[in-house]
Amino acid sequence: MTRFFELYGDKFVECVYTHLYYVVVSVGIAFVIALAVGIALSRIPRVSRYILPVISVSQTIPGIVFVGILLLYFGMTSTTVIAALTVYAIFPILKNTYVGILEVEPQYKEAARGCGMSSLQALRLVEVPLAAPAIFAGLKMSCVYTVSWAVLAALIGRGSLGEFIYIGVATNDNTLIFAGAIPSAIMAVTLGYLIDLARKRVVNWPKGRAAK
Amino acid sequence: MIKFEHVNKSYKNTKVLDDLSFEINPGEFTVLVGPSGCGKTTTLKMINRLIEPDSGAIYVNGRNIQDVDRIELRRSIGYVIQQIGLFPNMTVAQNIAVVPKLLKYPKAKIDEVVHNLLDMVNMPYANFAAKHPHQLSGGQQQRIGVLRALAASPPIILMDEPFGALDPMTRASLQDEVKNLQQQLNKTFVFVTHDMDEALDLADKIIFMDKGSIVQIDTPEDMLENPASNLIRSFMKKRLSGPDQPPSLVRDFMRTDVHKVSRNRGVRECIELMARVDIDSLIVVNSDKTYAGTISIKDLKADGKTGVIKKAEDGKSYRSIEPFIKTETPTFRLDDDARACFDFLLESDSRYIVVLTPDDRVAGVVTNTSVAKALADAFWSS
Repeated sequence: MTRFFELYGDKFVECVYTHLYYVVVSVGIAFVIALAVGIALSRIPRVSRYILPVISVSQTIPGIVFVGILLLYFGMTSTTVIAALTVYAIFPILKNTYVGILEVEPQYKEAARGCGMSSLQALRLVEVPLAAPAIFAGLKMSCVYTVSWAVLAALIGRGSLGEFIYIGVATNDNTLIFAGAIPSAIMAVTLGYLIDLARKRVVNWPKGRAAK
Repeated sequence: MIKFEHVNKSYKNTKVLDDLSFEINPGEFTVLVGPSGCGKTTTLKMINRLIEPDSGAIYVNGRNIQDVDRIELRRSIGYVIQQIGLFPNMTVAQNIAVVPKLLKYPKAKIDEVVHNLLDMVNMPYANFAAKHPHQLSGGQQQRIGVLRALAASPPIILMDEPFGALDPMTRASLQDEVKNLQQQLNKTFVFVTHDMDEALDLADKIIFMDKGSIVQIDTPEDMLENPASNLIRSFMKKRLSGPDQPPSLVRDFMRTDVHKVSRNRGVRECIELMARVDIDSLIVVNSDKTYAGTISIKDLKADGKTGVIKKAEDGKSYRSIEPFIKTETPTFRLDDDARACFDFLLESDSRYIVVLTPDDRVAGVVTNTSVAKALADAFWSS
């Protein structure tokens, strides 16, 4: 343990930082895109029924293939990593935003229309807030996935915690594998917790069905 | 105020509204009634353009609503729905303020409106404004639903079976409140229901619809006297023909929606329960569910400081309702004669009578309202 930090201490801190940077930036970009596209798709559910499965196919492309393709365009840069992670992070948020908005109970949509809200006002004041729990769930899922996918960044030598894992696997050194895997897991859990905290701040109304 | 001219509407191949023409005068309480699928809700939703007609014209205040921006139109018409539809992400105050905010009222004005409206339905601002809809009872929620519709003081209020999901007691009190509001505020109400009793109680004018057409438009009195069709007659059966066997047992008139508490409950808990369901007394039962007595809010409040301190299982102590249980409230049995029960109630000081089953459990209560209902039944059937 001590020996590990003597040997790799600086590198470890740097890798944790880089890893976190990849996750935060790509999930951040993905969140903005997914929210916008998810909301837009929720306006045209008839068309979206066909668009969504097409988008979901992107999820099935193996990460390595994707990184390889992006490599051709962006080279071995962090842009490649962030672009790849962003693409993967979009779908869970997008899907949850879309479904969350569509599943807002009709009574609230009708009340919003009946009160004289425009379509945008209904979205802003009623539909998006009521879809917030679903949107946060999607965000959390994306975030946790992205932490583990960011390991891939090491493949093209862009210094995430994956570096320890790959070196560890290559040199058959368990300490190094754990040095990459355990901090990743801790990072995933911590980010998930922070997102839960944020959700509780935003979704501050009591849940439950109407009393009779 | 509202005028339909030859309005038609079809969904696919089914005709929902067939050449509908009628007029509603300002300040009138109009009830649209009829069997399900008769087109009453479609008619209502056309007034604020939630549904558009295929042909024909609708005028509100002399203007063809096709020429009015539909968002503007809806903000000038109050709308109450059966599912209540209070926004769960907003507080009571925010829900009431929705339309005034959309209309960009100044903040001070909005606060004033919310205060006044909550006062009007006896739900104090301090206690309710910051609550969320899910923290209210169904009846309280729909009161707020009505207030939301009234907030921008629109001249017209549309109500789509607003009390359909409420229990009978709450429904009756909300019906009274709405009728009073309408008379106080002198607004035009259009109300949809499939319940003829509700229509007869509330309406200045009843529009009876069937299969997309109007069968009869009349005042409640005239409709009772001259129902235009057998369908209407069957809708009013309760009020028209006397019951085959005059019910005369206590069980036929008692209310069963009573609130019971166990005798080892705490004072605070009971006060809170009473406040929540808006009643002033509770029935106390023993641990074997048999009747023990009654408690009233007056006694609890007047002498709330005393009382036996009990230890609850979790180690906390609380004041028990035990010393406040009163046994003076008269009791009757399920199969006692109703008339005797009513006479007893009217002559006694008690405001209600507890009805017990043969094995001493609580079956319900008989109140003045039950007497009035019995009288009304007798009156309408004679």
